[in-house]
Amino acid sequence: MRAVFRTVCRSTLTATAALLGACVSSVVVDARFPAPLIEPLPVRMGILYDEELKNFVHVEALPQQSAWTIDLGDANLALLSPLFERMFAETRTVDAVPVAPALRDTLDGVIRPRLEKFEFDVPIGERDEFVEVWMQYQLTLYNPDGSVVTEWPVSGYGKAELTGRREDSVRRAAVIAMREVGAAISTKFAEQPDVSYWLRERQDEAALSADLGS
Amino acid sequence: MKLRCPPTSAANAPRHDGRARSAAVLGLLIAPLLASCGVTSRMEPYKQTDAVIDDGERVVILARRHHANHEAEQEFINCISDSLSKGKDGIAVHPSSEFEDKMYPWFEPSMAPLSTDDLSKLLEKPGVLEQVRETGVRFLIWLDGSTDRVASGGGITCAAGVGGAGCMGLAWWEDDARYDATVWDIKELSSAGTIHADVKGRSVMPAIVIPLPFIARPQAAACRGLTEQIRQFLTTPEGYGAGPEEG
Repeated sequence: MRAVFRTVCRSTLTATAALLGACVSSVVVDARFPAPLIEPLPVRMGILYDEELKNFVHVEALPQQSAWTIDLGDANLALLSPLFERMFAETRTVDAVPVAPALRDTLDGVIRPRLEKFEFDVPIGERDEFVEVWMQYQLTLYNPDGSVVTEWPVSGYGKAELTGRREDSVRRAAVIAMREVGAAISTKFAEQPDVSYWLRERQDEAALSADLGS
Repeated sequence: MKLRCPPTSAANAPRHDGRARSAAVLGLLIAPLLASCGVTSRMEPYKQTDAVIDDGERVVILARRHHANHEAEQEFINCISDSLSKGKDGIAVHPSSEFEDKMYPWFEPSMAPLSTDDLSKLLEKPGVLEQVRETGVRFLIWLDGSTDRVASGGGITCAAGVGGAGCMGLAWWEDDARYDATVWDIKELSSAGTIHADVKGRSVMPAIVIPLPFIARPQAAACRGLTEQIRQFLTTPEGYGAGPEEG
């Protein structure tokens, strides 16, 4: 079903892009992203991946150039799945927030990542040697009952030498930008003031439960 | 067709036979032009410890990528890595992308340590030192710099007619390959030294009927020179001399 949706979606976007420009440059960002080398946070987290994130395709017609379609759907999952699995003591994917009542006691919170902005530049002149990509994700942290703890915009920038095919350079720059996003999420998430406070609350609750249990 | 720049003083003048007279004239015309084609290099190594690489230890070569307008080209990193590991006195080199993946996210452009103090702090983070030990990497070599076109001039005009086609003119350009290799000793948590390489190459392309490109390759020369310097740096205690220089 997802594949059918995706094919229809991509075809529509490509047709739109074709109308915008004489030819279309297509990039599918497919990459393997490593899990971060960090200590997991002691919380059980639900992860909510929207269809929009899983099927994200950026379409844009650059001035004086061809139209571009950049497919980041699979790359989003390839980046975020191993990242969250390593960041938290336990993770499970959830379908909605607030989570089903049966799951509420098994989760401390839910994270919903969204790709909010994607910008890129492919140089025309000979002196400009780099393709640049900038992207911004929005991470929303919820309590299991659906109340928002915090919203955190995380951005990443990547550049790649303009060598060979332009599409390959855009792909490399996008992967570098996504790795930067992963680096920021994995190292700075717990430092966000609201998150830090929320984590302390969870730890206090866990300590209290342990005291009552003993 | 591309030709490499000939040795600066070697002009191969044709001799004797009549047919070659015009070629000799042509050669005389071109020779001064070729004399300006070539590569000059300068290597400045500075080693401040007597640390050398031991058996079982490896190096990793990484590009400094936090600059907005330049970074060492990936092909240059690959050239140094490949050249350093080749030969009977090859040095064990850990692939850079594999190292960055294993250490992710700590060597991404925005996170990478900029000083050995930063490196010390990084190694104190849980699991990082163990992971570095697992890779076997003792020396971390940061490459910074790029190869840029610094000057160009001249021009070639081509024309075609019923009787044939041909070009006339002269074009030249100059590329400058400037790189700094900074060597960090992870075992001692200190900077072991730096090697500065500056290689300039001037290419010329005279066209008398057909264009003849004489291409200087300063980046390739910088790779060869820097590789040799790094090899000496890692295998010779403090005070080794400058390596072979071209040009």
